[in-house]
Amino acid sequence: MEDDDRCSSSNPGGIGQEEEDEDGKVLRFLDSLDSYLTLLDALSSTLRQGWFELASARHSMGSSRISSVLLDQKVQSAATTFQVRKSIDGSPSESHPSFAISKWASSRNGKCSFRELEVSRVQKTSKNSELRHRGSSNFYEEHDLTINASSTISDSDVQKERSKSLSVFGTLVSPKLRGAQVSFETALDAIVEIANIRSSMLSAFTQLQQEMKKDLG
Amino acid sequence: MYGFEALTFNIHGGYLEAIVRGHRSGLLTASDYNNLCQCETLDDIKMHLSATEYGPYLQNEPSPLHTTTVVEKCTLKLVDEYKHMLCQATEPLSTFLEYITYGYMIDNVVLIVTGTLHERDVQELLEKCHPLGMFDSIATLAVAQNMRELYRLVLVDTPLAPYFSECITSEDLDDMNIEIMRNTLYKAYLEDFYNFCQKLGGATAEIMSDLLAFEADRRAVNITINSIGTELTRDDRRKLYSNFGLLYPYGHEELAISEDIDQVRSVMEKYPPYQSIFAKISYGESQMLDKAFYEEEVKRLCLAFEQQFHYAVFFAYMRLREQEIRNLMWISECVAQNQKSRIHDSVVFIF
Repeated sequence: MEDDDRCSSSNPGGIGQEEEDEDGKVLRFLDSLDSYLTLLDALSSTLRQGWFELASARHSMGSSRISSVLLDQKVQSAATTFQVRKSIDGSPSESHPSFAISKWASSRNGKCSFRELEVSRVQKTSKNSELRHRGSSNFYEEHDLTINASSTISDSDVQKERSKSLSVFGTLVSPKLRGAQVSFETALDAIVEIANIRSSMLSAFTQLQQEMKKDLG
Repeated sequence: MYGFEALTFNIHGGYLEAIVRGHRSGLLTASDYNNLCQCETLDDIKMHLSATEYGPYLQNEPSPLHTTTVVEKCTLKLVDEYKHMLCQATEPLSTFLEYITYGYMIDNVVLIVTGTLHERDVQELLEKCHPLGMFDSIATLAVAQNMRELYRLVLVDTPLAPYFSECITSEDLDDMNIEIMRNTLYKAYLEDFYNFCQKLGGATAEIMSDLLAFEADRRAVNITINSIGTELTRDDRRKLYSNFGLLYPYGHEELAISEDIDQVRSVMEKYPPYQSIFAKISYGESQMLDKAFYEEEVKRLCLAFEQQFHYAVFFAYMRLREQEIRNLMWISECVAQNQKSRIHDSVVFIF
């Protein structure tokens, strides 16, 4: 008992540090869980909006102009690609997959230009203790998502690529159809974010489980 | 003063005018739409429509229903009514009725050509064509590589042949050329229909001039708004506008150089009939513009029935049925997507 007292008195900061680390992991897990659920709500409302705008465009332009039979079945390069990477937070045992999307990738002139979307800001805000409201489709306004500065494609090129992908329905399409395209594009970004958040959430949960096993052992 | 149509119209056109007025009384009323807007599922919509003239067309459809099925079956009713009127009609009413279908023919031609360009199966494309726009050699459209072949192989024997003179080129068909072809054909068709109605004279010429001029003006506005931000040049845009209508020619000159919706609004507000349309929508938005135009069109089409002894009632009836089918499609989509609060965004009541 005296040895225990000597140990605790000789290393009071060590035990406190461990408790702080554990609390930090719990908070990280809970924050990523909250972000995950919020993103799911936002995705659901964005998809709903996209489908509604598509129906609105069909109502405006006619069923014959917006139909699945007009989709292009020729072999063509993908406008959007998806990459999976191994991301390491601290020690190698804490690695988890991370996902990135390359939108409107063009292989013209041998150059590959792309725009990456990362969830860095979402992970930073997980350290804040402010309450977030779920069920809001304004998630993208509340959390200003950072865009990787490595993008080399201009806005006019993005508009051209968008028009090119919509050209299967004709070149003079309703603004409602363009709005539907933007909604589905936003939904695709959200799905990648959800995948990243879920990956970090599962990683935080695994770390927490290991911590709990260590405490019990 | 008209040419005493009251004395002679009923000899050849009396029966069919009575038929079309009878069909008009079968259009859905506001209470029908109120019942439909309260439906929870597409089967509820089918149940409510079973008490209307659409009942026989939907009763054998199995559950679960799809919105495209509702539209297809309702369209079949319109096709049956049209075919009955066409087979009973004599000249010049039969030619007038055929003119009504040329717009569908143009849409079908563009559908087949676009689908073929995208390597789709021809049978699949034919199933999606509008039944009122079918003609015998339509499947042969798939073999054409450019507009010259399109004309020479297929369209030279169809009523669309005279409309092709302005768009015959040897350029390969691509998305932009097809879009320009669609709008050029439709422009030529509207002008031809307009001239035909002028030759008929009397109440038909007067009422159809108003209806076709409104159609031409609405097309000009839609072409302008849809081409904002695209590669279509001002000159090409100007060439797609019809050579008649309230906006011709000065409104077209201003629309051709418009770069956003507010500039379009400032052009249209100079014309009193269109001030009320643009008064319904707020600055910078164009979402409700379609509904505003449809409401104005329905008002004008209903007025066509206030006079007798003219052919415009047939055109008006076909367009009102199309609007009704659009309403049913919209209600079905809102119910299927659980967006009932948005139903009244696009439903246009006819009565």
